[in-house]
Amino acid sequence: MTVITTSAQTADGGRADGAAPVVSVRRRRSWAWLGLLPFLSFLVLFLLIPAVSVFINALRTEQGWSLSALREGISGQNWVALKFSIGFSAGSAIVGVLFGTLLAYAAATATRPKWLRSLVSSFSGVAANMGGLPLAFMFLSLLGRQGVLTKILKTTFGLDLYAGDFDLGNIIGLIIVYSYFNIPLMVLITLPAIDGLKPSWREACANLGGTTATYWRRIGLPVLMPSLLGGFLLLFANSFSAYATASVLTDNSKILSRRIGFFLGGDIGIGESAVGYALAAWMIITMAIAMALYWVVRKRAERWQS
Amino acid sequence: MTAATTARRRRWVSRLIPNLVLLVSAVFFIAPLLTLTRYALQNVPTVLLSWDTLFDKWSLKGLTKAFSEPEFWSTLRLSLQLAVGTVLVVLLLLLPTAIWVHLRVPRARAFVEFLTLLPYMIPAIALVAGIVIVKPYARWFLNSDYSLIPFYMVLALSFTYRSIDAGLRAIDLRTLVDASRSLGAGWVATLWRVLIPNLRAAILSVSFLTAAIVIGEYTLASVLLKQTLPTFQIVFVGREPQAGYGLNLLALLVTILLFVVLSLLTRPRKTPRRPFVAITPPADPGLPQ
Repeated sequence: MTVITTSAQTADGGRADGAAPVVSVRRRRSWAWLGLLPFLSFLVLFLLIPAVSVFINALRTEQGWSLSALREGISGQNWVALKFSIGFSAGSAIVGVLFGTLLAYAAATATRPKWLRSLVSSFSGVAANMGGLPLAFMFLSLLGRQGVLTKILKTTFGLDLYAGDFDLGNIIGLIIVYSYFNIPLMVLITLPAIDGLKPSWREACANLGGTTATYWRRIGLPVLMPSLLGGFLLLFANSFSAYATASVLTDNSKILSRRIGFFLGGDIGIGESAVGYALAAWMIITMAIAMALYWVVRKRAERWQS
Repeated sequence: MTAATTARRRRWVSRLIPNLVLLVSAVFFIAPLLTLTRYALQNVPTVLLSWDTLFDKWSLKGLTKAFSEPEFWSTLRLSLQLAVGTVLVVLLLLLPTAIWVHLRVPRARAFVEFLTLLPYMIPAIALVAGIVIVKPYARWFLNSDYSLIPFYMVLALSFTYRSIDAGLRAIDLRTLVDASRSLGAGWVATLWRVLIPNLRAAILSVSFLTAAIVIGEYTLASVLLKQTLPTFQIVFVGREPQAGYGLNLLALLVTILLFVVLSLLTRPRKTPRRPFVAITPPADPGLPQ
């Protein structure tokens, strides 16, 4: 009770009397931290407990604690799935970074239609959030076996898309589909960085005898690099964790999120369930590494954009 | 050749690649939307599609067929309830928390920001694996359809908190609160009549984006067997392919509409805001100076 009055006094101007006792400051701080309690308990209940139970269940087998399920999670078919998922996620992140940056640059430097830049950035805001079911159906109608583009390629150009091993659930197909939200996300990430490139740098470079290539190699790219790397990691995480789109596109169990979905779907024995949770654990570990790198890169990027 | 034409030509050449990029992007982003629309509205199988049949059998039936399904209405209702519920709880929890952090524990800002990035590390499919494990211990809660609300909050957390945080950074929070409090307003009045109007744009974008995420969320709902709109979208495609695509087109259009309405609502005002003083009643002349 006394603590509450102290804190109220301090808030109402107790600061004015100069010599605020140290004790009350410390007490005030400890009460202030309590204000975070609802938020922290929410995180513990609905994020931490489920996440930790994934790891506990991955480590617990009928014979007690063991690493066998985690080891099984990265061997055989599971290892193939993890490698495939990291592969296509990295691939679609690279494509997204490349085209997203090009598109952002094209939009930022275009002068003629004035509305172009704002159109690109607001459309990106929408499309970056367009993962999920409708996205999958959009691409099924375009590039599926009965897709319009598939048909046009076949009848007009004599190119049978599905003659080889093309499939929307394979690496090329996934990269194309995921680009639909990855490229716009990259545009949103790099536009501020591209705006940060000052024209005077370019002039300075030209005055010192540099060509356009010199400018990009020595100034432009190094300045953009933190945003590009950060964008790569975000796009990677985005593709790696996508589930809804993949679950419509394909039954390909090489996609890690699909594989976990199959395990959760139920057609598995008791002993194998630990493997399903081990896959989820490896997924969290991969994401944690990507996000930790992202955190480091973002701290560097803030230096340039401030 | 004059200098002007050379300059124009150089300009044209240097714009060649950017313009090409813009053109290719436009095609890439518009084509799938068009083919989905065609599939939903035109009852002609792709095999038979050609220049002769391009304008045959277009109708809105593909879009409206879902409306006669009772399941459509029940799943839509649940999804809307979840969306409204999630938005309300997000605002109720995050607004006071973010304001509290800014005013009273600014030292915790980086820590809280780090916490809000945690959900990004745990993909929906991994989170739902955890929920499946916990389920036997909390059936009384997880059996309810509305138990999805807190988990949807978790999925949306990294961007909801950051939007509110950015909104708070943009205003002079401490001055506003001190001014309001010294004029005799309580905490509720300060929040309701000073802070919320000032955070209007952030609150609107958090609400609309959260609603869009909840209405489109499939992973948790499908694994936990909740009958939300996205799970019905899948069932319906299996039953009625064309109308199913139509329903997905509709879901897509609703999402786009949410974003358009949001951008209209949060558009920066053309006329400058009336100065703060003009809104307040004229000062009491009898007030001691």
